[in-house]
Amino acid sequence: MNKLLKQTEFYIAVVIIILSIVITIFNPRFLTAENLFDLLKSFSVIGIMAVGVLFVLILGGSPDVSFTAIAQVVEYVVVIMTLKWGGNIILAFLIAAALGTLMGSFNGFLVHYFRVPTVIITIATLNIYYGLLYVFSKGQVIFVVHPMFRDFANIKIGSFINQNNVAYGFTLMPLIWILVLFLGWYILKYTSVGRNIYAVGGNEVAAERVGINVFRTKLFAFSFIGLLSGIAAIVHAAIVQSAIPNIIVGQELNVIAAVFLGGASVFGGGGSVIGTFLGIMLFAIMNNGLTLLKISTYWFNVFVGAVIVISITISAIQKIRQEKSRIKIHIEEKAEDRV
Amino acid sequence: MKKNIPNLSLYVILIIIVVVMSILNPSRFPTISNFRSMAYQLPLLAFLSMGMMITMLSGGINLGIVATANFTGIITALTLRALSGGNPTEASALVILISMVMGVIAALGAGTLSGILTGYLRVPDMLATLGTMTLLNGVNIVLTKGYTITGFPKSLITIGNGLLFGIPIPFFIFLIFTFILTIILNKTVFGYSLYMLGSNFTAAKFSNIDTRSIILREFLLSSLFAAVTAFIMMGQLNSVKANYAESYLLVAILACFLGGVDPAGGFGKVSGMIVSVVILQVISSGVNLLRMDPFFIRAMWGFIIIAVIAINYFNEKSKTRIKMVSSN
Repeated sequence: MNKLLKQTEFYIAVVIIILSIVITIFNPRFLTAENLFDLLKSFSVIGIMAVGVLFVLILGGSPDVSFTAIAQVVEYVVVIMTLKWGGNIILAFLIAAALGTLMGSFNGFLVHYFRVPTVIITIATLNIYYGLLYVFSKGQVIFVVHPMFRDFANIKIGSFINQNNVAYGFTLMPLIWILVLFLGWYILKYTSVGRNIYAVGGNEVAAERVGINVFRTKLFAFSFIGLLSGIAAIVHAAIVQSAIPNIIVGQELNVIAAVFLGGASVFGGGGSVIGTFLGIMLFAIMNNGLTLLKISTYWFNVFVGAVIVISITISAIQKIRQEKSRIKIHIEEKAEDRV
Repeated sequence: MKKNIPNLSLYVILIIIVVVMSILNPSRFPTISNFRSMAYQLPLLAFLSMGMMITMLSGGINLGIVATANFTGIITALTLRALSGGNPTEASALVILISMVMGVIAALGAGTLSGILTGYLRVPDMLATLGTMTLLNGVNIVLTKGYTITGFPKSLITIGNGLLFGIPIPFFIFLIFTFILTIILNKTVFGYSLYMLGSNFTAAKFSNIDTRSIILREFLLSSLFAAVTAFIMMGQLNSVKANYAESYLLVAILACFLGGVDPAGGFGKVSGMIVSVVILQVISSGVNLLRMDPFFIRAMWGFIIIAVIAINYFNEKSKTRIKMVSSN
């Protein structure tokens, strides 16, 4: 089982390397630090949310689709709050995390209490969160945000100058993504709640019998995706420096696709943070590559779709072959018995 | 023991909502023009939900259904444009027919892809159709370059927009297809096989059901319903675009679930699903007539779903309690 998971990640890594080589051959600008910083920055929002998506997928394979709505609500609310009362960016992050955790835990409570598939409950809450946001915001776009978001976005670690004499550097947004990746990896690998998430995803009844508190485990995973959505919301506000009520919602299935591509199991109990990161990176590099190769971004979805279809076909054929060879061995053993 | 009427709670909810809406808005809600407009809007979600239901019965899901509908519409529109020499509004009947056939073929092609992936390669439905959905969305955007294609012949628009005896034509199409689907699911070997696949896949396999071909056919049928959606949508909007009706995808899943279709497969009736689509439509029209925010409708849908889930949950709970008491 573990070997198979490692394989998925290995294949994605190979595809990413090949893709990077191809893109670099056609446009060497791909492998510059400036481009890679940009790439990491622009995918940090969905990258952060994807870690949360992974947690819920491990829990049972049924995806949470409401996380974009949570991020959307949090972004709008925090942008308005900071405009009204000021404050600082750390406070903004804390409020966002608290709001997100609250909405996420509401999902977790409903999912566990009513024992309904995650996807059904979260479609309902997606509509509630997003619908209410639109009712209260009347769809108004906030073009001017509090300057703290701009200041935060402009903080750079290290400062470099490219050949056109434009300064660039490593911003804090991708750094937050990297921290979240480490946090997710650590929780899943080294904490009891992380191991419990795998156990509940693998077999809920068995997990309950060995004394795992299933409710608390689920509540943790759903609160965690809410928390990360809240953090992603502030990162998003810092990047776009406006609050548009419909800009994040609608991407949920793309993020889920990337996490599945990264090896998360549809039956629950399987998936890793590294795989999720690679899945998102594959999307990011494809997107970036199209721009660098001057191919219209209209083709982005075609490539992503093709990669998904081809990769699931290959892994399905592999699985069928493995099963066939297993049956063959079984039959041969039986034949020997008879002799 | 009294005989249970299936989905009784749904009928009760429907009646309550109709009564409440009529009381809240007596001058506009219980009128012929309102019922006509509901009959006009209802088929779109109904067809998508029917297509979704077919796959959910076998324990699967078809996330590519809206993308398939848009794909059908776009292929039809592009064929129409190519064959009519740049004047699609004046196209001849034969050209219209060929275009629609091309659209249906496109839908069936999409269905074949999902069907082979899930049926023959045993890829889980959610993954396979997520892939087809992304691929089709991409193809749709590339084909239209993100623009809207408008201008169709009158006869094509009539399918989605016309009136017959004062009743919208799409409503007639909806009735006919509801009848056909009920027959397929309840009276054919294919229908029985779908339910069996959903309730116990291994058992179905060992009772000599060709699971692979059933799944392939299930996706073909599902895509066919997407194609019908496309033709109605073309008439109602007089245009095609890569991302029309995207928000309906999740609503279609909800409508099925609300109507008693088990997401794990094996259970669900067409009548229940249709009632739940009607409920969603009544809420949406009723709230709309009250001049409330259309997004309030979305929030309402969400609340109603959770309410229904809660009611079902407590019903089940009390039923098991009664059983336990009576068995003692």
